[in-house]
Amino acid sequence: MSNEQQAGPTVHTIETELGRFPAPVMDGYKEARVLMQGRLREQELVNWAAQGLAIAGKTVRSWEAAAEFFKSSPAVQRQLSGGQFMRWSTVGADLCQESPSLAVAYFKASPGSLLRLRPRQIDEWAGLGRSLYRGTWKSSTLACRFYELTPNLLETLSFTEMTRFGQFLEVLSLRSYDLASQCLVEGCGLFPRLGTEREAFIGVAHAVAERSWRDVRAFFDGATALGTIDSDQRSRLLVLARRMVASGDVSAGDFVKHGSAAVRGVPVEYSGRLLEMAEAIHAVAPVAVTDFLKHAPTVLGRISFTQFEAWHTEGMGILKEGPEAGLSYFRGVSGRALEVLDTLASGVELSRIKDVVRVYCRALAGEDIELSSTQQLVEKKIGWTDSDIATTEGTTIFLPPVVDRFPSKDDNFAWYKVVSTHQVGHIEFGSFLFRYERPSTMFEDLRPLLLKSKAKDAEVAEPKAQPPRAVRAASPKTVAKSSAGKEPVAEAAAAPAAPVTDMTRFFDLFDDRTLSHDVFTVAEACRLDATVMFEYRGIVNSYRKVQARALQERPTIEELPMREAMVEFIIRLSLNQQADLKVPRDFMPTARKIARLIRRIADPVATVEDVSEATIRIYALLTDVPNNKVPEDEFEDFDPEEEEEEQQEQPEDQEFYLNSMSGEGEGDESQDSEGQEGEEQEEYESPQDVSYRGEFKPELAQLLSQLRLDQDMLDGAEPADITEEQLQELLEKSSEIEQQEGEGEQQQATEEMLKNLLKEMAKREPKDQDSGQGKFIHVDEEGGPLEATEENSFVYDEWDFRANEYKPRWCLVREKEMAEGDNTFYQDTLTNYASLVRDIHRQFELVVPEVYRKIKRLEDGEDHELDLVIEAMVDRRSGNTPSEKLYWKRNKIERDIAVAFLLDMSASTAEAIDESGRDNDDWGAPDDPVEYMVWLRSRRAEGLRRSYKRIVDIEKESIVLLVNALEMLGDTYGIYGFSGYGRENVEFYVIKDLKERYSGAIPRRIDRIAPLHATRMGPAIRHAGQRLMESEAKSKILFMISDGRPQDRGYSREGVEKEYAVHDTKVALTEAKRNGITPFCLTVDKAGHDYLKTMMQDMSYEVLSDIRLLPKRLPHLYKRLTT
Amino acid sequence: MAQVQATSYREYRIEEYVVAREPFYVPQSDEIEIFTAAYKQRIPVLLKGPTGVGKTRFVEYMAWRLGQSMGGKGSKANGAKPGIPLVTVACHEDLTASDLVGRYLLDTDGTRWLDGPLTRAVKAGGICYLDEVVEARKDTTVIVHPLTDHRRVLTIDKLGQIIEADPGFLMVISYNPGYQTALKDLKHSTRQRFVALEFSFPRPEVETKIIVHEAGVDEDTAEQLAKLGEKVRNLGDYGLGEGASTRVLIYAGRLMNEGVPARRACQVAVTWGITDDAQLQRSVDEVVTSIFA
Ligand SMILES: Nc1ncnc2c1ncn2[C@@H]1O[C@H](COP(=O)(O)OP(=O)(O)OP(=O)(O)O)[C@@H](O)[C@H]1O
Ligand SMILES: [Mg+2]
Repeated sequence: MSNEQQAGPTVHTIETELGRFPAPVMDGYKEARVLMQGRLREQELVNWAAQGLAIAGKTVRSWEAAAEFFKSSPAVQRQLSGGQFMRWSTVGADLCQESPSLAVAYFKASPGSLLRLRPRQIDEWAGLGRSLYRGTWKSSTLACRFYELTPNLLETLSFTEMTRFGQFLEVLSLRSYDLASQCLVEGCGLFPRLGTEREAFIGVAHAVAERSWRDVRAFFDGATALGTIDSDQRSRLLVLARRMVASGDVSAGDFVKHGSAAVRGVPVEYSGRLLEMAEAIHAVAPVAVTDFLKHAPTVLGRISFTQFEAWHTEGMGILKEGPEAGLSYFRGVSGRALEVLDTLASGVELSRIKDVVRVYCRALAGEDIELSSTQQLVEKKIGWTDSDIATTEGTTIFLPPVVDRFPSKDDNFAWYKVVSTHQVGHIEFGSFLFRYERPSTMFEDLRPLLLKSKAKDAEVAEPKAQPPRAVRAASPKTVAKSSAGKEPVAEAAAAPAAPVTDMTRFFDLFDDRTLSHDVFTVAEACRLDATVMFEYRGIVNSYRKVQARALQERPTIEELPMREAMVEFIIRLSLNQQADLKVPRDFMPTARKIARLIRRIADPVATVEDVSEATIRIYALLTDVPNNKVPEDEFEDFDPEEEEEEQQEQPEDQEFYLNSMSGEGEGDESQDSEGQEGEEQEEYESPQDVSYRGEFKPELAQLLSQLRLDQDMLDGAEPADITEEQLQELLEKSSEIEQQEGEGEQQQATEEMLKNLLKEMAKREPKDQDSGQGKFIHVDEEGGPLEATEENSFVYDEWDFRANEYKPRWCLVREKEMAEGDNTFYQDTLTNYASLVRDIHRQFELVVPEVYRKIKRLEDGEDHELDLVIEAMVDRRSGNTPSEKLYWKRNKIERDIAVAFLLDMSASTAEAIDESGRDNDDWGAPDDPVEYMVWLRSRRAEGLRRSYKRIVDIEKESIVLLVNALEMLGDTYGIYGFSGYGRENVEFYVIKDLKERYSGAIPRRIDRIAPLHATRMGPAIRHAGQRLMESEAKSKILFMISDGRPQDRGYSREGVEKEYAVHDTKVALTEAKRNGITPFCLTVDKAGHDYLKTMMQDMSYEVLSDIRLLPKRLPHLYKRLTT
Repeated sequence: MAQVQATSYREYRIEEYVVAREPFYVPQSDEIEIFTAAYKQRIPVLLKGPTGVGKTRFVEYMAWRLGQSMGGKGSKANGAKPGIPLVTVACHEDLTASDLVGRYLLDTDGTRWLDGPLTRAVKAGGICYLDEVVEARKDTTVIVHPLTDHRRVLTIDKLGQIIEADPGFLMVISYNPGYQTALKDLKHSTRQRFVALEFSFPRPEVETKIIVHEAGVDEDTAEQLAKLGEKVRNLGDYGLGEGASTRVLIYAGRLMNEGVPARRACQVAVTWGITDDAQLQRSVDEVVTSIFA
């Protein structure tokens, strides 16, 4: 390149040459040389110095570059091999050729940049800077900046990303150097906040730069907001941004700004949905997306997210019709948008009012009632398909997730209330308590008569051919069902199996189950409405409103085939329609009879059995009505025939009912209806449900409650009195099971349901409780006393109430220290219940001053007690010896309390519970066993995506809260868990011993509390009592928390006498009490009252029928118990 | 009850306080017979039950009723037979034995002994009703015990006297087993000196009758109020403690009588009376608005 190099390649000549340049060159050289000397070989040093000289000599100002070259050399050299180092200098020299300033910046930035650059990337890096340089002063500044900031950029960007960024800057710099410079600087601040979405961000920026470079500024501004949202959302937002940019005409800056704000404004679980909505809009009209996002927070301020989705759907429809209208909708400026918003905002969501309504229902019914969303029921896919329709199966009331039928919030809430009151009515007023044998209170009983004739029928017509009457033909689906492949079982069931429920027995009376079921449900609903309105007058107005609304939703009577028209007529009657009620002219008399029957049962004194009798009559009347369509003019207004004298039922009438029920009425019918010759009868279809009454399934509900009943008698080994065949039959013929479209599906659905129910039955067999916790030596219950040979094992007597004596040394308690898990559970609980924790602390703080009592009658103290002094004066005057105890003082009475908490760790605590309030991510696990199984299955199907809470978890949480609070009081306390299997294996886990101080191990042990085996309470209580006795405290408390009654193999003897366990437990508690221990029992068993009353007698106990109350209740109870 | 006019009051010496008119009382089951039998045998009686279910009223009624067959001590010359004297003491944690038995008082010329309410009842042969007896200090049991077994004597240390109870004397105590604390409970030796009568919330028909009489509302309103009581009591588990007592239902009825709208009356008397929990209040309110228009 230059001649000097060739002239004198010695150090000396080079140094002389360097001396001709301004001093910094020489200074730099000398300083660096000292450092480099030992590291480079002589020749390398010469080459290095020569390179510096070459750089210095390139142009007028390149001496600066040379000085910088020398300065940074020592640091750079340390990071590079000899060849790489040379390369680095050559690259710099080349840059210097173009612009000394560039070279200066390059050299200056090198030590820092090379920390993060691979040596082979040096060329590329230099190239990136150079590509920004176009000979002008501004471009030089930009390129220099780039080098300068490289170390910063590389802190977050990969080299590839930085390359992309450089390319972007290049594109942008073609438009504006200033802007590119700004972006460069801002990028340094921005990238660290963008997480893994840096590349995507740069991609979008690039696109913006290419398409509408002026927008880059705004895009960078808006992007600051991107840093505030989650990575997932950010990534999606950027993908969308890219597409937005590609479709042109929109400001990416505005989009990311408002998009980020909107995403930040909704709870994380909804942000995905929000972006989906934006994407949907984008597919139709990209311009509307930003407006949508911009407006979203305002809209969400008024309505919930679910409602917001509805709002969006509405907007999408409008958008599809015309972009202009859609645009203003999403801007929130169109009248329609406001209108929709108003309606939605007046809607009431179940999740918000669930707790209030649940407690309300519970008050009315006096029973434990769960509330759940129908949506969840639908999602279970077990037959229910309409999430707008309420229903109940006896313990849970399902309500639609949102109600926005009325324009005001109050009315919508009232709708919920009406629906719940109606559904509770089923429980409160005994819909499910139907007994076949119980006589009616207002009708002659036809049921017994029918049963006889039915039996005769069965004998006569063995093959049970369908009578050749089209009218009476049961729905073909039903027929198909029972003949489809299930022959043997169905056959077997048809003959001997007695009906499982009384309801089944009743519906068995009818050839057309569907029709009878429809009539029964309407009639029963009608009775309930009447009863509710009588009992609850405050709700009558709302009720009427809801009824009126339901009427508006009914189909037109005249369009229905006649029999269906008549059923519709009944429904409308029951909804209190007064005018314009159409009936087929020919059947006016029938309609009158029906109306009279309906009027009779629409009475608070009517019973469900009355309804059943009315059903028989109405059904009989309906079988006379053919199910074909007739022209509209065949209908006329119903005329109740003014007040004819109250007709007593005539014997002929009964004759008629009986005949048509047993099929003998055929004769007159054929003359009547076959008259319309050629008229095709249509298959009878059930009427559309009345939404507030919902789906009422008395037969299934009875079945479920029967199963529950058997479940309750778990120990009372009454052999299962429902057989598989019976179940199968019930499911197959019941008209309450939703009809599926295809035959195959129908069968599948039935089988699935059957499987669930059978599982339920299986659950009633003694449980296999061996869950792998080591081997159990099986000692026969009939065996003799046990010995405590092992360490930490103890034997206790057990009370045999039948023999009225103790069985000596009968139970072996094995005490074990609880294993340790980690303390996340503990921490999480304290976080999740933060406000409750504060609350408890506040309560417990109040306890402390209470122990400072004014103690009177002391010989010495703070001051004289006036009363005592007077008393003493009096005594002296009256000649008595006055007392010397005349002082009082405030004394700290030691709160001398030792409490042992005894936790039930039996297998049943694994049962999941519904967590209300978390409506959206964890819909309730039903209490009902069958439901529960179904629920569990569907949950598994979901891949256990949701974590759910079990009873034991709540127990644990409560213990956490309590421990936290107890530490504050300083009471002595121990926490023990118990479970076991058989009398020789009563497991007693020490979570915290009474003598033990609190330590980090306690939370870890709490973590491991888990459901194990059975519940033998007696020995556990005795052992805990023993522990307490070792304590010196004045007050000793034994606090037991359990989920159910005591039960264990051989404990609830022979399974029949569950009293054995209850009695032993009671005796164990009495023993404790005799020893000066105060027992307290807290249980979450719903059926707890009965046996607890026996068990606890005059001792205190509390039954929580809602386990969710436990964390709140436990500390409270503890406080009450000890102050 | 004593006839108390709005503008004047009457003063009675404790033992002269007798229930002069028949108190209104609707029996829940056989408590009247049991009490009568116990009184004849002089067996002390313990009344158990939640607040406001008529324990106090029952004692007043029995005092009157027994007076009818006994002739009555504090007779008044107006024809109608009065009841036997009734001395009621509401126990509290500072109540000492001297508060029950009596003490010396200072007066201008020395000291004067004053019998406590228990001593007066013992002497006068009346019923002494110790309300919420667990609240009293433990030393009271020392006095209660000899009075409630075969000895039937009251020891007065300060006077160095032992008083044999008048044949008409009977001790009655009340006790609310709901949530006594571990630190306060009846000792077994105390408890076993009494026969126990358990009171619970009256059945709706009975409660209706009570409300009609006590609040002076019509039967229909009373029925609705009783229904409200029943429903609210269904929520016992929700920390409503003992639920709505007959007393608050009567209050609601009385307010209605004064023209307060039904819903509002129930709100102030029932809803707010039984819980502080806003959400529970809301639920109870919904029950109220369902029952009352
Ligand atoms: N069986 C009853 N017959 C008549 N009145 C009753 C009856 N039960 C309750 N009452 C009414 O309820 C009110 C409250 O009853 P009472 O004061 O006797 O309750 P209590 O059981 O003594 O309550 P507490 O434990 O709070 O003292 C009475 O004033 C009375 O009006
Ligand atoms: Mg009282």
